[in-house]
Amino acid sequence: MTSPLIAEYVTGLHQSLPAAIADEAATGLIDTYQDHLDSGASDQEAAHAALAEFGGLTMVVNEFTRQAPGRHAARLLLATGPIVGACWAAALTLSRAWTWPLPSAARLSFGAVLLLAVLALALAASSQHSYHRTRLTAAASPILLALDTTAVAAVLLDAPTLTWALGTAVAASLSRIAFTAWSLPRIAAY
Amino acid sequence: MKAEAQVLKGHLDTLLLASLENGPRHGYAVKQALRTGSGARFDLPTGTIYPALRRLEAFGLIKGTWSDAGSRRRRAYELTPAGRRRLAGDRAAWRDFASAVSAILEPSQ
Repeated sequence: MTSPLIAEYVTGLHQSLPAAIADEAATGLIDTYQDHLDSGASDQEAAHAALAEFGGLTMVVNEFTRQAPGRHAARLLLATGPIVGACWAAALTLSRAWTWPLPSAARLSFGAVLLLAVLALALAASSQHSYHRTRLTAAASPILLALDTTAVAAVLLDAPTLTWALGTAVAASLSRIAFTAWSLPRIAAY
Repeated sequence: MKAEAQVLKGHLDTLLLASLENGPRHGYAVKQALRTGSGARFDLPTGTIYPALRRLEAFGLIKGTWSDAGSRRRRAYELTPAGRRRLAGDRAAWRDFASAVSAILEPSQ
């Protein structure tokens, strides 16, 4: 049986964080509380001391959010996105990609899905108080993987010749595919 | 103490890795190790230790494992080979930096 103050804090952790993370933090808080009880403090004193030592709920949740792997990956993908985009823009312009046999609907769908993925990443990257929002990266990453794979496949199947510019763009996408595939299990796990 | 906390933040990853060098520890034990090891000078809010441990785990520098200890489940962390390499690198860099600062602040007579 723990103090109502501790129980309230633990409930707050569970409302703001994924279950496994909240469980771990709650155990740490209860350990702190127990330590104060063992050293002779009353229930109320131990609860107040444990909460002071652990840090305020908002501060702890914000700290988890700031250090969330999903937020970090989203910021990295958004920071490198313009470079990958510039590589593709240059490559497609130089290759006169508008003459390739690709249906307009496919081009438009590609653009719309890319926009949605970027929006999800922007929401995850800018989150400061909501850990749950950082997990949007876990939704956007498979989309990015699919888009990069589609772009690389389209070049290999439809480009008349593989120029150095297209090769650079394909390499940029392959790098992003490798990073996304590496980071996705870590993001999904937290 | 506030300024010290800011400096400490810059070295937190290395200190956390060092606290796990001699074997697995759970978050609260890591916090206690930092406090004891620093003579109570490094006393971070316990709640900020857990996000940092999770981040180090996501980077593959430490590995967490759940275990049942009494009535509560605990997550203990241990260094991975990558974490040991990172700690060795950080330690060497710190020695270089500290000896350079000492050479300026305490020049031999």
